[in-house]
Amino acid sequence: MKLFWFETYKTFSRWRTYISFSAIAIVVIVSEIVMKLSANEILYRMLKIFQKDFMIAGNVLNGWFVTAFIMNTFHIHIPFLITLVAGDMVSGEATSGTVRLLLIRPPSRSRILTAKYLTALLYTAGLGLFFGVVCIALGLSLFGTGDLVVHHYGKFSIALIPESEIPVRMALAFAAAIWSMTVVASLSFLFSTLAENSVGPIIGTMAVVIVFLVFGNLPLDFFRKFSPYLFTTHMNLWQRFLDVPIPWGTIARSAIFLGLHNMGLFLTALILYRRKDIKS
Amino acid sequence: MWLLIFSFLLPGWTVADEEASRYLDAIEKKYSGLKDYTADVRVHFDIDTFKAPDMEARLYFKAPDRTKIESKKVFFFPKEGGYFNPGLFKKEDFEIRLLEPTKDGRTEVRLKMVPKRKEMMGREFVLGIDRDANLVKKMDISQVGGREVKAEIEYDRVGPFELPKHIILTLDLPSMESNETRGVDPFEQKPTRVTGKIDITYSNYKVNTGLKDDLFKQK
Repeated sequence: MKLFWFETYKTFSRWRTYISFSAIAIVVIVSEIVMKLSANEILYRMLKIFQKDFMIAGNVLNGWFVTAFIMNTFHIHIPFLITLVAGDMVSGEATSGTVRLLLIRPPSRSRILTAKYLTALLYTAGLGLFFGVVCIALGLSLFGTGDLVVHHYGKFSIALIPESEIPVRMALAFAAAIWSMTVVASLSFLFSTLAENSVGPIIGTMAVVIVFLVFGNLPLDFFRKFSPYLFTTHMNLWQRFLDVPIPWGTIARSAIFLGLHNMGLFLTALILYRRKDIKS
Repeated sequence: MWLLIFSFLLPGWTVADEEASRYLDAIEKKYSGLKDYTADVRVHFDIDTFKAPDMEARLYFKAPDRTKIESKKVFFFPKEGGYFNPGLFKKEDFEIRLLEPTKDGRTEVRLKMVPKRKEMMGREFVLGIDRDANLVKKMDISQVGGREVKAEIEYDRVGPFELPKHIILTLDLPSMESNETRGVDPFEQKPTRVTGKIDITYSNYKVNTGLKDDLFKQK
């Protein structure tokens, strides 16, 4: 536990840790201000298919809608921001020349690595929470509250979630989003144990995420067969909490799949790091 | 020869059109005293791709064609066939044809109505009118793009007027916008259709309360 707090202190006392938080704040603030200024355009585009057949009343473009809208970009920028820190957790020690000093101290390599891994997960959770709090707080203050209309762009498909259900669903959605991002952190952490500087793990992780996202979305049967086995396919797990009704079975399967990835990636990192030669 | 045939048929058509117009006149006369109404509306959706709990709102109508929906919550209200506007079917605005009677022919007449006015073009109506009560009981609306809406209307007496208490709409719509169907997916399936029903229940009518024009101004 002491090691964990020590690693946490180390991580959060570096100024570059806060680059991610600043980037998220900028993305959310600018997006929401622009959305506020172009509210009519967004409403028109969003509801075009329904406006032919329905009169629509009530506050559709509310804080919850804006939050869900921005959350759709989660799998684009958040993985990169996570790798900035998780990819540096172990390799950073090698870069700064402190790895030998660290590993000759009494705690075992396993304990040190576990503490660093938990810190990477804490950072991921912190980033996700910060994203959620900024999105919701600013969204509700700028756009007010209301029922959440979840729609598929250009299709006659809608799910309307009553306002009373939204806070719980949003909390679960953010928890699921954080859970899916821990896989990115785990992957980055694994690469970090293999590298001597943090550039490799950052680029390596992003390359895997991008390649998997592309393969998972290519409209070819060959890739469609593999798509369920790619962790990136399950990264939109959070969206299932905004379905009506909530598909608990699908959520459980995806959550377990992502959990197994976390476990596998961490154990691989642990085995490789325990065998790592730091003398040469 | 053709002229001769036309000269025999023309009077028959004219009589049929006049008869059709008479049904609309009767409805217009029946509701000529209806200046405005307010009602509570409850909408229940039974459409696979439209998952929403029942919605409630207050509907304001002022003759000839102004409507307003008031709801604190998000509310979707069907435009076609969802609310009652007795002035919608003015005979001068349509080309009207009397259709063959259905099995309810004794009590019901069917009129096919094609709008003449530019703003209503692209739609065709088939009205099922109860000839005894002078009420539009059924309404089929076909729109460009293959949009079909069928309405069945039940009435209740509200003061001197009979106003809808329950409307069942049957929808058959394209599931996508025509310009959204061109995706990057070369194996994209053809867009399917959305079908389902919408139940609309009206209650707490208030008729001719003198609704102000300001109420209908968009904020």
